Amino acid sequence: MSPQTLVTILVFAPLLGAIVAGLFGRRIGHVPSMAVTTGLLFLSCLIAWINFVANFNGAPKFLVELLPFIQIGDFQSTWSIRVDTLSSVMLVVVTSVSALVHLYSWGYMAEDDSKPRFFAYLSLFTFAMLALVTANDFMQLFFGWEGVGLASYLLIGFWFKKPTANAAAIKAFVVNRVGDFGFALGIMTVFWMFHTIRFDQLFPLIPSMLNKGWDFAGQHWSALDLAGALLFVGAMGKSAQFFLHTWLPDAMEGPTPVSALIHAATMVTAGVYMVCLLSPIYEHAPVARDIVIMIGAITSLFAATVGLAQNDIKRVIAYSTCSQLGYMFIAAGVGAYQAGMFHLFTHAFFKALLFLGAGSVIHAMHHEQDMRAMGALRKKIPVTWAVMMIGTIAITGLGIPEIMGHGLGFAGFYSKDGILEAAYKAGLSNPTANFGFLVGLAVAGLTAFYSWRLIFMTFEGKPKWGAHPHDDHAGHHAQIESHSEPDTHGHDDHGHGHGHTPHESPWVMLVPLLVLSVGAIAAGFVFAPYFIGEDHDAFWRGAIFVSANNHVLNEMELPAWVTWSPLAVSVLGLLVACYFYLLKPELPPRIAAQKGPIWTFLYNKWFFDEIYDFIFVKGAKLLGDLFWKVGDQKLIDGLGPNGFARASLEGGKRVAKVQTGYVYHYAFVMLLGVLGLLSYGIWLAS
Amino acid sequence: MNAFLLQYLPIVIFFAIATVLGLGFMIAAAVMAPSAPDAEKNSAYECGFNAFDDARMKFDVRFYLVSILFIIFDLEVAFLFPWAVSLFGMPHDKMVYAFVSMMVFLGVLTVGFIYEWKKGALEWE
Amino acid sequence: MMTDLSSALMICLPELILAVGAMLVLMLGAFGGERSTGAATMFSGAALIAGAFAAALGPHGTLFAGAFHMDQLAAYSKVAIYVASAFAVVMGYGWMNRSNERKFEYPVLILLATLGMSMMVSAGDLISLYISIELQSLALYILAAFQRDDARASEAGLKYFVLGALSSGILLYGISLVYGFAGSMGFTQIAHAIAAGGANHGVVFGLVFLICGVAFKASAAPFHMWTPDVYEGAPTPVVAFVAAAPKLAAMVLFVRTLSMGFFGAHEQWAQVLLVIAVISFVVGAFGGLMQRDVKRLLAYSSIANIGYALLGIAAGTQLGVQAMLVFMVLYMIDVTGFFACLLALARNGRPITQISDLSGLKGSKPGIALAITALSLSVLGMPPFSGFWAKFYVFKSAFDAGLWQIAIAGLVASVVAAFYYLRMIKIMWFDASPAPVDGSPSEARWIAFACALFSFPVVLIALHFLDQSAGLAAASLGLH
Repeated sequence: MSPQTLVTILVFAPLLGAIVAGLFGRRIGHVPSMAVTTGLLFLSCLIAWINFVANFNGAPKFLVELLPFIQIGDFQSTWSIRVDTLSSVMLVVVTSVSALVHLYSWGYMAEDDSKPRFFAYLSLFTFAMLALVTANDFMQLFFGWEGVGLASYLLIGFWFKKPTANAAAIKAFVVNRVGDFGFALGIMTVFWMFHTIRFDQLFPLIPSMLNKGWDFAGQHWSALDLAGALLFVGAMGKSAQFFLHTWLPDAMEGPTPVSALIHAATMVTAGVYMVCLLSPIYEHAPVARDIVIMIGAITSLFAATVGLAQNDIKRVIAYSTCSQLGYMFIAAGVGAYQAGMFHLFTHAFFKALLFLGAGSVIHAMHHEQDMRAMGALRKKIPVTWAVMMIGTIAITGLGIPEIMGHGLGFAGFYSKDGILEAAYKAGLSNPTANFGFLVGLAVAGLTAFYSWRLIFMTFEGKPKWGAHPHDDHAGHHAQIESHSEPDTHGHDDHGHGHGHTPHESPWVMLVPLLVLSVGAIAAGFVFAPYFIGEDHDAFWRGAIFVSANNHVLNEMELPAWVTWSPLAVSVLGLLVACYFYLLKPELPPRIAAQKGPIWTFLYNKWFFDEIYDFIFVKGAKLLGDLFWKVGDQKLIDGLGPNGFARASLEGGKRVAKVQTGYVYHYAFVMLLGVLGLLSYGIWLAS
Repeated sequence: MNAFLLQYLPIVIFFAIATVLGLGFMIAAAVMAPSAPDAEKNSAYECGFNAFDDARMKFDVRFYLVSILFIIFDLEVAFLFPWAVSLFGMPHDKMVYAFVSMMVFLGVLTVGFIYEWKKGALEWE
Repeated sequence: MMTDLSSALMICLPELILAVGAMLVLMLGAFGGERSTGAATMFSGAALIAGAFAAALGPHGTLFAGAFHMDQLAAYSKVAIYVASAFAVVMGYGWMNRSNERKFEYPVLILLATLGMSMMVSAGDLISLYISIELQSLALYILAAFQRDDARASEAGLKYFVLGALSSGILLYGISLVYGFAGSMGFTQIAHAIAAGGANHGVVFGLVFLICGVAFKASAAPFHMWTPDVYEGAPTPVVAFVAAAPKLAAMVLFVRTLSMGFFGAHEQWAQVLLVIAVISFVVGAFGGLMQRDVKRLLAYSSIANIGYALLGIAAGTQLGVQAMLVFMVLYMIDVTGFFACLLALARNGRPITQISDLSGLKGSKPGIALAITALSLSVLGMPPFSGFWAKFYVFKSAFDAGLWQIAIAGLVASVVAAFYYLRMIKIMWFDASPAPVDGSPSEARWIAFACALFSFPVVLIALHFLDQSAGLAAASLGLH
């Protein structure tokens, strides 16, 4: 089969699965619908790897045009599948993680009654994500963008009988609307500037628009900067960047496989993917890129600090995701799109691994998510412990630089160091990039601390799962992940009693973990030369545009401290974590109990939810009340519809009153009419 | 005031004289006539007896019917006179046309007449 | 004169068919008595259909020294009027059978009224105008009081007659003034006189009277007062007749008189008509709000709709006339369907007249409920029903003629009027039914369904032809 047919099958196989499981799932039963979706996903995954290898070996990029979508004048959009290195990488990431998550869900969702729905949503999500990454114009990109948003909404609210899950789903949806608004404005700006939304027509035109812009307030504002900044607002929403990040931690209300697939490995990286895809725009939009760096750096710092104080195992990983996404944006912002994509690639493996590992822990702990109720699980669930260790080493970026050419370490080591080095090089000429570098360095330490904290609290120390300590905040931060109906659900050996012994997960869950572990170990080592190393030009082959004066990836002699400092801060974080959670485990609860200002600030996530609640929710409500009670009810309704209705009714009564039924009244009205019209007619004639 | 309206001046004068005359007599009677009413003078009759019932009484709707039917044919006859007078003064073709027209008219009336006859409108009882 | 008599008779063949037919039916009834009602009905229906064919296919021309015009406009209107009258004959026959009041006079009167209307649309001078209006009106007065034993019907007939006599007086006075000032009865001569001397006060004076008299026949406000009472009191098939064909006849009479005879005074009469139109649709819209009786409601609806149609005439353009013609025909179909629905509804042998009696109709008579819904939506102007196209046409012509303020006022009025149609729909579909409804007579049901189907979707096909023939008809007046 030709590569065109193959990629078409690749993209549509998940849709087919979603349709089968979604529409006929009840009829064909649980196992067949799970088998169909998972099978089709593995098929997609296989094709994605075939395609990736072919691309790796130099197969040319190509475009499959399927159907016209919207064609209005210059506004031409076509359903198409664009295959180049960038999308090949994304196809591999998406389908691999998705296939593994499908498989993992066989075990994780074993007790759920709506498995067909779950698998249909997962497959639908995968389809939308594939449509997103293979888009050849902004409309299809937007379609995929909204499609993954929809699937994310459905999956966060999968246990729709849980009010918190519904609230989280709505929050995710609404916050993403803010981003989408910016995104849509960005698309409109692009169309307004270039009269096309097709990437292949758009990119060659960009150099001609360099000077387009406005003079406003004594400043020249470049139109490309505007477009880039607006599009980045969309990326901020989808990738949960600072200001629009609040939905991501709450999204952990969804089942853990969903968190692994959507809220760690794939959907949230769509923003990064888009910025890299639009590198021709961002290369010519320095202001927009500075914004990207700033937001990325602030996000990574913010999320890492918040991660320090969280007790819910999934939330820690969620904030970690947020933080790592910030890293990717720093990379994209400094011009090292390849490094951003590489981190996206490796992160997908180790973060999916961490999430699925956390899912395995939660599974073992009978749906307990509070790390303070865990401890000493290493002996009980050794496989999970091992893969979590691998994931943690990968994310903390442990590795030895400057040996064997690229150094030696797990996946995160390569990509993170690549980003930091690129930021350092860019920082030589750009102070914002310098800021990104320093923040990135600090965050590396924080990441090490909270990641190891997670490992130590969960797997080491004394077991605390006999008795259940209650969070002094009424336990509302430590979410207890419960299946659809905790009360009526038949838990034979999965009751909510915490006296049960933790147990290792079934093999169907462990296999995906092991596969991902391989990725977390080897992805960096194998692919670093191609993504960011000396072979990157041959690998990307123009899929990412790099302007002539962008040298961040070029070989350059770096000071030794730059090379070694990431490792140093990482080890420092590890040591601090060791001190607090292995040597003096009684210290952290005491700090928490004191409720110091810093701890409170971090524990409450910089009070973002509270601030947003005050400004937007309460403010919108106030504004809404104002418009509703005064504007709508009094002014518009009172003078408009209701007032008009009242006046109409009065008028109706008057007319009815004139209709007395007496002939002489009728005749009188007629004569009055004649008289009036006569006067009017004569007045007109004279 | 234009010439057009001036043509109507005699009528206005006529109305004015009529009004003045009519009002004048009534006012004169009211002012000058002696008036000394008493109960007997104001009663229905100074002699005889009060009326037994209303002077207006219902009478049969057939009177109206007959009078309406009469009017129709009365008008028909009135219409025939000018026709008959002018008919023979016309040129031949118009005379035939006029004759046929009147026959049609009479035919229509005859149809109406047959209908009222058959419906019994002409029977008194 | 004699030589072309036969061709002259061909030109007025439709009227001849009706006149002779009416007299034959009268004789048939006179000799056959009540038993012959069925035959009389069939014969009358046949005469009307034959008349329609004669009007559609017969030759065109001007007769009787300009007193009688047979042109596209007349042909178009005659076909519509005859067909509507035929429906009225059929509906009336069924109704008479059910109420055990078989009278062969009913079809005869319909024929005579139709003859009057037919002459109205052809009238070419003031005498034939007056005669035809009187012929139509007298027949309608009797029809309105057809149920002699029913107090309300007699009251309705009497009111109609008294007010009609008053309006005829007004009309006649206007005619005499126009004759006095223009010096002629014929429209063409009047037009010449106006062109020569301008529209002097006297002519305008007479013209306003004339307009008032005809406005009464079309039930335009402020000469509408008889309408609700007559609609309520008169028998339903008679109302179905009065509500449809005479309106078209009066409107065509308006158009022909005003544009053939008085186009020189367009500025004056257009303004007068606009006033009448605005008052009509305002009164129609607001008056209907408080009504509880369906027939009264439809009376107000017809007042409002005449207001909209008058906009087309007031525009004074060929497009306006075309819009009016399309509007009136579509409205006639809707209103015929409405009354057919009412005829089809009875509870315990008593016809349903109150709006509240319609409640829960969706359960007992879903077909009729659906028909009423479609017709209501159509009359209120909901796309894609026929009423929407009708209103669209007249409002567009009014806009084109620069009457956009009036058109907007009309739109507002139609929004107000939408309330009472929607209330009817709401009562039918969402309220509980108090008691079962009798079975509906087949002829009324079929007419209702046919009209409802016409309002949608048949109209989408028919509109093209209707538009075309209305365009030809409007063109025959020689306007721009």
